[in-house]
Amino acid sequence: MEKMARVTTALGGNTITGRTMFCHLDAPANAISVCRDAAQVVVAGRNIFKIYSIDEDQFVEKLNLRVGRKPSLNFSCADVVWHQMDENLLATAATNGVVVTWNLGKPSRNKQDQLFTEHKRTVNKVCFHPTEVYMLLSGSQDGYMKCFDLRKKDSVSTFSGQSESVRDVQFSIRDYFTFAATFENGNVQLWDIRRPDRYERMFTAHNGPVFCCDWHLEDRYVFRFDIRRFFLRIAKYWNRLPRELVESLSLEKLYIAAGPLPTDTTGEGRCMSCLMLSAWALNYAPETSFLMLLPWLTDSGNNLTLPLLPSFSPWGQVAQTWTMLRIIYSSPGTVPSANLNHSLGKGSTSLPLMNSFNLKDIPPGIGNESRLERSKGESRSENILMDSSSTLINNDENEETEGSDVPADYLLGDVEGDEDELYMMDHENPHAEEQEYILPQEAFPLRHEIVDNPSALDHLQEKADSPHVSGNEAETVSLTPVESFSLISISHSLYENRLPTDFFNPIVRDMLLFYAEQGDVQMAVSVLIVLGDRIRKEIDEQTQEHWYTSYIDLLQRFQLWNISNEVIKLSTCRAINCLNQASTTLHINCSNCKRPMSNKGWICDRCRQCASMCAVCHHVVKGLFVWCQGCSHGGHLQHIMKWLETSSHCPAGCGHLCEYT
Amino acid sequence: RREGKQPQRRARREAERAGGGRGMFVARSIAADHRDLIHDVSFDFHGRRMATCSSDQSVKVWDKSENGDWHCTASWKTHSGSVWRVTWAHPEFGQVLASCSFDRTAVVWEEIVGESNDKLRGQSHWVKRTTLVDSRTSVTDVKFAPKHMGLMLATCSADGVVRIYEAPDVMNLSQWSLQHEISCKLSCSCISWNPSSSRAHSPMIAVGSDDNSPNILAKVQIYEYNENTRKYAKAETLMTVTDPVHDIAFAPNLGRSFHILAVATKDVRIFTLKPIRKELTSSGGLTKFEIQIVAQFDNHNSQVWRVSWNITGTVLASSGDDGCVRLWKANYMDNWKCTGILKGNGSPVNGSSQQGMFNASLGSANTSLQNSLNGSAAGRKQS
Repeated sequence: MEKMARVTTALGGNTITGRTMFCHLDAPANAISVCRDAAQVVVAGRNIFKIYSIDEDQFVEKLNLRVGRKPSLNFSCADVVWHQMDENLLATAATNGVVVTWNLGKPSRNKQDQLFTEHKRTVNKVCFHPTEVYMLLSGSQDGYMKCFDLRKKDSVSTFSGQSESVRDVQFSIRDYFTFAATFENGNVQLWDIRRPDRYERMFTAHNGPVFCCDWHLEDRYVFRFDIRRFFLRIAKYWNRLPRELVESLSLEKLYIAAGPLPTDTTGEGRCMSCLMLSAWALNYAPETSFLMLLPWLTDSGNNLTLPLLPSFSPWGQVAQTWTMLRIIYSSPGTVPSANLNHSLGKGSTSLPLMNSFNLKDIPPGIGNESRLERSKGESRSENILMDSSSTLINNDENEETEGSDVPADYLLGDVEGDEDELYMMDHENPHAEEQEYILPQEAFPLRHEIVDNPSALDHLQEKADSPHVSGNEAETVSLTPVESFSLISISHSLYENRLPTDFFNPIVRDMLLFYAEQGDVQMAVSVLIVLGDRIRKEIDEQTQEHWYTSYIDLLQRFQLWNISNEVIKLSTCRAINCLNQASTTLHINCSNCKRPMSNKGWICDRCRQCASMCAVCHHVVKGLFVWCQGCSHGGHLQHIMKWLETSSHCPAGCGHLCEYT
Repeated sequence: RREGKQPQRRARREAERAGGGRGMFVARSIAADHRDLIHDVSFDFHGRRMATCSSDQSVKVWDKSENGDWHCTASWKTHSGSVWRVTWAHPEFGQVLASCSFDRTAVVWEEIVGESNDKLRGQSHWVKRTTLVDSRTSVTDVKFAPKHMGLMLATCSADGVVRIYEAPDVMNLSQWSLQHEISCKLSCSCISWNPSSSRAHSPMIAVGSDDNSPNILAKVQIYEYNENTRKYAKAETLMTVTDPVHDIAFAPNLGRSFHILAVATKDVRIFTLKPIRKELTSSGGLTKFEIQIVAQFDNHNSQVWRVSWNITGTVLASSGDDGCVRLWKANYMDNWKCTGILKGNGSPVNGSSQQGMFNASLGSANTSLQNSLNGSAAGRKQS
């Protein structure tokens, strides 16, 4: 826990803007995996197998697992996984068909623990059981999946998919015995470990290979990924799902958090850029959630085995909504332009753009809001921490992507029909995807003016026209922390035609109503506050008031008094605004002369002293002031609390035994 | 004194979400030390305090300590009969409890703070502020109105009368005036206020009856306050509910335009009440509702005694004679499904998958479960 906190703060970086860490790898990597407390990351590839620790501001190489003078093919990893229960346990899938486990606790330099040489071809994927320490599952090019018990020398059971090469295997998070496997022919199979003879269920997910899949965090059903399609179109594949599966998926859970996927997965492309959204962070340690960005280079033969880590975020839908809102309202009306999709898909965005709208531009008023958002329930604030450390893309990487080919027609699935088109706008740029995690900040820049930046646009197009980038350059991963850039810049440059902003108002209104009917009043109120006058006229006063009162009631139930007061302050409803205008008078004594203060404000008119001095730090208290009603001395809430831990006497030295409730 | 109508609920169990642990529920049992059946459990607004009432004629108040343990901070004899229900007022009105009893009264209690007595260290003192003696039969339920309506209290009694009291001066809890008397013509067992704070929604109260005479059919009536006549009038009757009703609960509204009502009868039922827009001409008249039954579950296979919502009105907990607490949640298509089962002794039923769903559905708010179990934590257990 301590470590997690450290990571979070480290990534929190300087106040609002997060920091991104990059690290130069000596060789192309195929997979990364993070240890349980997110303090270390293992990177594995054909010619690399190293552990880096995630330090305050950099990755530090801790251990090179490729030892020996003449490393065998066992070191050539297609996949690596760090056990989420045992810190010392790693497993790799070697390209020669061997599954290797590594014990970091070994005293010798060679940490290799066990070798399972049962697969006949490249092992594409290894996966530990989420709760069972000794259970390891592998999926191989030879079409078999094998389950190993690490206490034994051989595999426990072998599963034959009887279709094609296995691309991915994933244990279910929820069901102890279930795992999913995806195949090159587009099939997905669900298996029960106890029954190696046949799969429980199989369905065809895609026309092409299914490279990757992951289980839903909450639901028991699996989603699949096809990186060739880039994004998975839920609506489409719903039709193919067994009916009971479709019904079991609930709306809020439909979200795919896979990062922008590699822009080239077929044929020639040697350079490949894969933005790794570290799904593990969301999955396993929300406190440390940050986005990890690693450019990947894979050689031509093996370029399909990218270790994508798609995952699902329970907050995804909300985050997406914010992204959309930002797109709609931040620039003065936007319509996607088909031509630009292509270039953007490749060229991504470039530094000048980032600089033009980094978070430092946020006007002063935003601070309040961020605080407000920050404390909206634990889970969400965690999310926000993550946001502040959101990662960004830098030039080098963008250049890498340029050699790739972006299918122009890839589609994004969204569950809300109304929002579908908006959603697509959002995802035309792969980088929008990672912005999805930036829940609160997305909203902030809405309040400031957007400056037109045509030069950025030019730059972008220019880049799109020059698709060739040397491999070296791509390999050189930038080590500089990149400043946050906001999606605004992208969306802005994306669009040429303009629609009046209120063109989208009916949709936004419907969306708010939708959230409210779902009982997600927080979303409705947050959007109301952020959009302010832009949307206010669309919704009748009475409904708004209802939302505000419900939300304030909820906040007060959680004893989030300060936040509920912020909401009251920020609300535009008159009936709500006046809620904190009643009984605002305090009767206090001057801390100096002990007589009642008659004046307004904190200056005593008798002794001409400021009455609101902190007895601990002797500064004037602004914000939360707490004082003892017996001796009138007080100070900063934090200071007084700290003081009272050690002493029950008044910090002012008056000898009074202060009582605070 | 056992009056037979109420179930024999002795064991009260509380399940709590273990902090941080991934999807593990820990059930803790609290030795309540009541000398007879516990009839009701009630959490306060914040979920930090709990009150229990029992046939031993006493009420106990429990406070949650920093480490999550519950400590009894007060226990006193409240009535001269079985105490059926106990309920908290909104903390804005102070630490106020109301209890109702077989002794035909409902009583309002207030906690006195600041008087530290060495003998009673750690014990708080509760003072009887008023006794409401209007009922001529057992008072079966008592509920405070939503905060925005002021300090109001509704009681219902076995002779079929719902009474609504108001304390005109919130500082003076000893003065309560009987504002309304609604005759339901049915022996009432439970009431629920509609918690909506919207101005578009008139004050509304749902009444359930456990009358088991065969000739009376509908057991749930909904009364709405009419601005013009200043009276409560029957707005709707749920004709489909014909079996004795043991508990009824409106879901927290949270900005919804419609209302969700859970009914505990021989099964669990969930209704939605969508107000049909009043025409301007008829404004002031009674609201018409489009009532739909969205879920009906007989999984308990027996009488259902309590239903209770979490604070967002997304998860419903029910307890039944099968000794289980079951949790229900709707998916995006508004299909309600069971997302978890807890036995009376707190252990989950049916292994990991059920439990997994259950955990996931509850989201991140720790207190939601607490509140969802509010009052319904009574798995029936003979011991």
